[in-house]
Amino acid sequence: MKKLFVIAVLAIFTNTAFAATSIHAEVKGMVCAFCAKGINKKLREVEATQDVWVDLKNRMVVVELKDQKTMSLEAFTKLIKDAGYDVASAEYINKSLVEIKADHTHMKEVK
Amino acid sequence: MLAKLSFAFLLLVTLPAQAAALMGFKDSAMFMSEFSKDRKELMLNYSPAVGHAFGVETMWMRGEKHTNLITNINYTGLIKRWNMPSGQANLWFMTGIGEASGDSSGFSYSPSVQFDYETTRLYFLAKARMVRAPHIQYDTYSVQGGFSFYETSFEQTQPWFVLEARTTEGMAMRNEITPALRLINQHYFLELGVTNPWDSESRTPRLNVMLTF
Repeated sequence: MKKLFVIAVLAIFTNTAFAATSIHAEVKGMVCAFCAKGINKKLREVEATQDVWVDLKNRMVVVELKDQKTMSLEAFTKLIKDAGYDVASAEYINKSLVEIKADHTHMKEVK
Repeated sequence: MLAKLSFAFLLLVTLPAQAAALMGFKDSAMFMSEFSKDRKELMLNYSPAVGHAFGVETMWMRGEKHTNLITNINYTGLIKRWNMPSGQANLWFMTGIGEASGDSSGFSYSPSVQFDYETTRLYFLAKARMVRAPHIQYDTYSVQGGFSFYETSFEQTQPWFVLEARTTEGMAMRNEITPALRLINQHYFLELGVTNPWDSESRTPRLNVMLTF
């Protein structure tokens, strides 16, 4: 009974910790599409990746993760570094890529 | 002599301060080419790790006295990269060794250094390259500057205007000024220019293509 309780609590917390569906990052040095192709290609090769958005204007990279799949921020940062760039900041966001794009479009309109 | 000193001075001034992509990302291959009247170059390299690439290059060059085909194996190394919030600068070292054939032949080598700085709207490059073989000395100094007409998204093609000044020792056309239109997107880098457009004798088209796989 105690075991079941512990498993249930762990399941709840594990589910909360990985509820994020996207990684949102600010990337330094990303200035041209030809050079940033590596970021897009390498991220899409990862099994956990559902979709990728490279936003050159805002130096931003967003990876939407597949359901039940995870990618650590360390693994993400290494991948960006292998493509030749540096991650200024990275965080999980509990939003889909479509929602994040919509947020950015809305922010632009407000500006 | 004065022109050479000016170029050397310009390189000295710009090299310590600031770098364009000469290789792709890790595990990628890059193809580069340049076609003009007196110079045809093809290069293919593979990058097994960030900042290192190995490849082959072939250069057909028409000089004042000789016309040669030089084929080298080469190495490209990234000495230093500066990733900034709104820009990127790189300092590169390249070297090639191989064989020259044609009007003169023998062992050839071609070391070079390059610095470039780029934002989404501005671009600068300075490069010095030696191309040597028995009786051949095609040393080249070049600077490029340019701007993009507007910012684009990752999926769009971005047009740039780029102006290059290049001087090459021993070439039939020693001094070259080339205004060019550069088109960049995630699949290709294409540059179309006209060298010395105001001079009917030396006016010649130039095409540069870069692809990554």
